[in-house]
Amino acid sequence: MFRQLKKAATFAAAVLATTTLVSTAQAADYPEKAITLVVPYGAGGASDLAGRALAETARNYTNEQPVVVVNKTGNGGMNGARYVTEQKPDGYTLLLSRVGMALYPAVYTDSPVAWDDYTFLGILESTPMILAVNANSDIKTVEELLAKIKSSNGATTYAASGPTAIDGFTVQALLADADLDPLSASTLVPYKGGSALAAALLGGHVDFLAIAAGSLMPHIEAGKMRALMVYAPKRMDALPDVPTAKELGYNLAGQVDGWSALFAPKDLPEDIVAKWKDILSNVATNDQWLDLAKKRGSVSVVGDQDPAAFVKSQYELYNGMAKKFGYIQ
Amino acid sequence: MWNELLYAFEAVATLPNFIAMAAGIWGGVIIGAIPGMTGTMAVTLALPFTFYLPPVTSILLLVALYKGSTYGGSISAILIKTPGTASAACTVLDGYPLAQQGKGGKALNMALVSSCIGDFISNISLFFLAMPLAMFALRVGPPEYFMLMAFSLTIVASISGRSLVLGIISACLGLLLATVGEDIYGSFRFAVTEDMKSGLGVVPVLIGLFALPELIKMIVFRPEDNNAAMKLGDNRLTMAEFRGSVKSILRGSVIGVILGAIPGIGPSTAAFFSYSEARRTSKNGDKFGEGELEGVAASESANNGCCGATMIPLLALGVPGDVITGVMLGAFMIHGLTPGPLLFQNNIGEVYSLFIGILFSSVFLFVAGKLTAGAFAKISRIPQTLLLPCILVLCVFGIYSIGASPFDVSVLLVMGIVGFVMMILNIPAAPFLIAFILGPMFEDNMRRSLAISRGDLGVFFHSWISWAFFALTVLFIALTIRREWQKWREKSRNTAQSA
Repeated sequence: MFRQLKKAATFAAAVLATTTLVSTAQAADYPEKAITLVVPYGAGGASDLAGRALAETARNYTNEQPVVVVNKTGNGGMNGARYVTEQKPDGYTLLLSRVGMALYPAVYTDSPVAWDDYTFLGILESTPMILAVNANSDIKTVEELLAKIKSSNGATTYAASGPTAIDGFTVQALLADADLDPLSASTLVPYKGGSALAAALLGGHVDFLAIAAGSLMPHIEAGKMRALMVYAPKRMDALPDVPTAKELGYNLAGQVDGWSALFAPKDLPEDIVAKWKDILSNVATNDQWLDLAKKRGSVSVVGDQDPAAFVKSQYELYNGMAKKFGYIQ
Repeated sequence: MWNELLYAFEAVATLPNFIAMAAGIWGGVIIGAIPGMTGTMAVTLALPFTFYLPPVTSILLLVALYKGSTYGGSISAILIKTPGTASAACTVLDGYPLAQQGKGGKALNMALVSSCIGDFISNISLFFLAMPLAMFALRVGPPEYFMLMAFSLTIVASISGRSLVLGIISACLGLLLATVGEDIYGSFRFAVTEDMKSGLGVVPVLIGLFALPELIKMIVFRPEDNNAAMKLGDNRLTMAEFRGSVKSILRGSVIGVILGAIPGIGPSTAAFFSYSEARRTSKNGDKFGEGELEGVAASESANNGCCGATMIPLLALGVPGDVITGVMLGAFMIHGLTPGPLLFQNNIGEVYSLFIGILFSSVFLFVAGKLTAGAFAKISRIPQTLLLPCILVLCVFGIYSIGASPFDVSVLLVMGIVGFVMMILNIPAAPFLIAFILGPMFEDNMRRSLAISRGDLGVFFHSWISWAFFALTVLFIALTIRREWQKWREKSRNTAQSA
């Protein structure tokens, strides 16, 4: 029944769209009403905070129109992504995209949304990932960790959201770089969400993990965890002594990085894309935005890259890894 | 320390803080009372406002909303058999029968008093026991968690009503339904449509199961006499009734505090847990489920007892246990405060202010609850034929508002039909729900434990915490079997005599 309803709704939307196309085409006064920003992950997490920070900052440049954050969770973020791609490309429904939006289609051939089913408005921030062990552990460097993994014959454990989630790929990429079998050299213990992952390491229930910095920094600062390596293009300001994967010569791991971006449904009119480029360039230098990004432990990269090319390269990176690790043929 | 406390008291005792708390609690009670609108939603909606408030005020507002909504769920649970939040599902079991007997006001008062006591004990524990409880919670790893969940599933025996077999069938159905969607390794089960990949929401299942069957029953059977409104008889809670339940209230509060401190368990499990314990130990145990005030007290003291305690892992370890404390973590970070051990070193002033502010919340809860429950109690005077369609509309809109998802609404309606069929077959709904809530935690922690041990079952017996829960599980099952056997023997003796 809902499929029929949906069909009817799509038809109605199509009729509406053709009649309103004329008015949106000359939408110099966009936005004229509230904009919905869909966050595909749960409230309170890193992506949610990024979305809410963007919403709070962007409203200064959207003709006083509010940007309303809506959390649509489930299926590795694909529920929210799919919802946005099914909306009218009128600029009133946008997606706070994460690395998952490139990773999921790269790993699942039956992904409900392809990596390029969007209009790419901009890359917002880079959120480094950290490889860490419990402070009580005797492991001090990545080499020691890898040596232990090698000698334990698969008995070491690491926490991750799932084998094909970004925080599973961080570890598997490192294992592949060290010529170990990415799937069996160490045992994955799945947990849901950054704080549950952090708690697993904090309680000593797993040996190590490599997840988003935002979930780990408080524990590292409190001296409960030890950071071994950072997955980011450059060292983190907060951890100047911790080397990056690239510095240590890990090729695959060196390319892994977390990020947030702003996407819209495909075929967004040119002038609205231009308007958002304009809004984002304002956001890039906004003190509140920069301040909130710093507090989340992420680096604002608004306007630094060509979003389409960046997302494509990310998709290809993870697609290559998925093939290499044997998730797809 | 005393100087710091005094300073913190001065800092927190300001008008804006009190306004934020009063507004939060009252708003929470009303949102909690509306079916489908949950505390999670209230807290998420309030988050952007907190960007503009001082840190302590923001957190107090969010905590107040959480506490208010946890209590508020009991109002609709008692009056219209529709738990406003999942944690009030257990309150339905005795609350609604009480309302049908014209004792709705009494049940509401009992719910309020036990909620406030649970809340207060929870706050005190947060104040004094945060660190030791947090350290205990951290030791609960996957094997211990699994054993705790195994023990929690024995609750089914206490909430099965007349037939244990039907209760177990109901729980099995609940466990089965809980497997729908993505498992922890990322493979999909029973994912017929794209929407089903993310599983079924607790709130649509809960409301479909509890609220809709009444409505369907009215449509199908068209009872003649259902136009009469429920009577609102004696509303006062007598001292004797309170004294009779005080043990259950205190026990429920402690259960709430301990389960609340362990991340991820949450108030619904605590409520069922406490109810089960109260039923086992009360001298009126056999009357539970037919309108026993002590049942309402046990459930409500435990779910509010959880609220303060869920802040323990958040503040002491920086680990939020559920979505609501997750949002609070976000609010802390926005204000540049990082929950965890460092918070107690760097921001002890804020921590004390927060603790003191939270202590006041019990008082606010009592006043707000008294005012709101009084107003809501008039609902009982509306005839069922008018009331039930209104409830349906509220449920559908409430469920839709959670995620703007038509799929959630269809889950609600389908579960309503399932609930109706179960009602006709006399299968109790409560075991279904508790199994549905516990199922994922039970399964996930079993698989995690076995992943860590690489298939060795010995992992479940490595710590005294596991052993303790294992022993309790065995003991409880043995007691249940003995009780069932006695019941069976008595019955067969009676039939033999009459024959």
